[in-house]
Amino acid sequence: MDVRAQLVMVFNLDKCIGCHACSLSCKNIWTDRKGAEYMWWNNVETKPGVGYPKKWEDQEEFKGGWVADGHNLRLKAMGKGPTLLSMFFQPNMPKLEDYYEPFDFDYGNLYGAKGGDDQPVAEAFSQITGEKMAHIKAGPNWDDDLSGSQVYAAADVNLEDKKIIEQYSTMFMQYLPRICNHCANPACVASCPSRAIYKRGEDGVVLVDQEVCKGWRFCTSACPYKKVYFNWNSGKAEKCIFCFPRTETGQCNACAHSCVGRIRYVGVLLYDAEKVEQALLKPDNQLVEAHRAVILDPRDEAVREGARKNGVPEQWLEAAEKSPVYALVKEFGLALPLHPEFRTMPMAYYIPSLSPVLSAGGELHQLVEHGTIPSREALRAPIGYLASLFGGGNRDVVAAALEKLIALRIHMRAKNLDQPTDEASLGKAGLDEAGAKRLYRLFTIGGYNERNIIPPQQREELDSHTRKGASGFGILKKTGRGRR
Amino acid sequence: MLNTVLNTFIFVALPYVALAMLIVVTPYRYYSNRLTWSAYSTQFLERKTLFWGANPWHYGIIPIILAHGLGVVAPGAMKSLLGNVEVLVFLESVGLGLGLFALFGCVVLLLRRVNAPMLKRVTYPADWVLLILLTFQTATGVYISLFMRWGSQWYLHTAVPYLYSLLYFNPKVEYLADFPLILKLHAAGAFLIVALLPFTKLVHLLYWPLDFLKDPPILYRWRSRPEGKVE
Repeated sequence: MDVRAQLVMVFNLDKCIGCHACSLSCKNIWTDRKGAEYMWWNNVETKPGVGYPKKWEDQEEFKGGWVADGHNLRLKAMGKGPTLLSMFFQPNMPKLEDYYEPFDFDYGNLYGAKGGDDQPVAEAFSQITGEKMAHIKAGPNWDDDLSGSQVYAAADVNLEDKKIIEQYSTMFMQYLPRICNHCANPACVASCPSRAIYKRGEDGVVLVDQEVCKGWRFCTSACPYKKVYFNWNSGKAEKCIFCFPRTETGQCNACAHSCVGRIRYVGVLLYDAEKVEQALLKPDNQLVEAHRAVILDPRDEAVREGARKNGVPEQWLEAAEKSPVYALVKEFGLALPLHPEFRTMPMAYYIPSLSPVLSAGGELHQLVEHGTIPSREALRAPIGYLASLFGGGNRDVVAAALEKLIALRIHMRAKNLDQPTDEASLGKAGLDEAGAKRLYRLFTIGGYNERNIIPPQQREELDSHTRKGASGFGILKKTGRGRR
Repeated sequence: MLNTVLNTFIFVALPYVALAMLIVVTPYRYYSNRLTWSAYSTQFLERKTLFWGANPWHYGIIPIILAHGLGVVAPGAMKSLLGNVEVLVFLESVGLGLGLFALFGCVVLLLRRVNAPMLKRVTYPADWVLLILLTFQTATGVYISLFMRWGSQWYLHTAVPYLYSLLYFNPKVEYLADFPLILKLHAAGAFLIVALLPFTKLVHLLYWPLDFLKDPPILYRWRSRPEGKVE
């Protein structure tokens, strides 16, 4: 047993209202720079939709992630030899148009325009070439809320039944906030010829060492989630850093902190690094269970002993015990990995959405009689769709999570209305009274310190002499080309 | 007189300046700021033409540079290999083909910088200097290969001993003094490229992905473990 600790985020999709507060706080802190204008380390996309970059889920296009061929995992794109031969031209790299050409508006013209008959306007200009853009073809969240069109939804690779698009007005729609998953088996790390990307041993955060990166660009396509970006100005790759300067001091990530719907939970998971590869060799529809099997119980004395041996501090073990993430992912089995079939073992998990609330197929917004659990086929978001997103195609794991959510709602509704509760239906979904209470707190009234349990980190462990003169984390040296 | 000055400049001053730059500036840049150590790929902004530029260029020029280097590292082996006329003709033809391939790529890369509007803001004076210099260098190489036949052989008896004399700090210009101007320019171009290397994006040449070949796929770094990277 090789026990590792990992900081993990869970997203409760039922509560996401698609406000993009997370994306904006992230952009303001990290990617408001030349070369990074088009990057959204955190983005929220509308599902069904093509996402950002367009069609990132289509691995036949970008060749991201791993494939299992019997006894081995290998990168889908190419092995080491072909990698070296493709350094001059990386065949799978997403191009700017797959994201969008970043633009700004010439506000200066509103003040500085010469006198004339017409009102001056702020024209759009490209942030890359500086030239005026007469025609903006795409932008951030171009297909937000389906963009009033069926075009984007129809291109979603997860939709097995495209007919649903025809019933556009009655279609389901939900949001999918995405950050780097800080995978346990990151394909970006494996693809890097410079060995610039690494996983931090202490908390599992995946980072690009800006001093080592030479800009060979294999990571940008190897990541099946397209969460490594190429900075066209600095000539290096960049990605979500899990706000490590914040988490190291016990604060939660900027995206989680600014989340209006309070959909995010941050906490510690312990997992067995030795079993990761074996787990990922399982067929697609067994991957969710395999993920869960790799996650270890922080109350198990053997696990704690193994963790201590690997240098996991007591504070971290304590945090792992209280971890909301462990509860949601393993104890209750509610949170599922996004596209586990990419085989990177993503360490961000999603509680699938019931919304629009319990509408049965055909008759919209018809609230289910409480006390009954509707069949999974009656849900408005097709379960096959959710299974394609979160189950590796396995409908049962998604259904089990949804049934728990439904049972919890029925139970709490009865309690709030002072009606008799039904322990049996709670039990049928795999919950009990205490569990329901815990989940209820986490989903509703749980405060900042319940939703985010982040143990302080390395800096606190270092002695004061080591820390002296080491404050701050900004890059003060020149990056990119030309003048600073 | 003029010839002597030119020879001294190209075959004595230039190589030592280039070598000094390489030896002094490279470590300085490496230790002072590695954040600018990149190949500065522009594939993200323009990829259609790049395919026809970067691929021919690299696949053409790398074997040719290696062949130039091999003559210096193992002149004996080269001599015996090229003693066979058929091998000599074959290798010269392959070399000429690769040279033309590289030249084609380099010209495409140069024209790409001229024509692609997306690259306007990412094209710096250094890019023009390098692309023009490299095109010139490849073109003179192709010319020499075409009109001064069996260069792979006479290279071993002229340029190689001259390069060795440089290393012994006793430059023997006479090995190359009587060659036509085009060859002297080819030599000057080579030294100039070496001199510019540490200042430009050419530093990407100094990186060889050897760790990549032997490392396990997933790299960990532990702050608490002094050895740094541990699987």
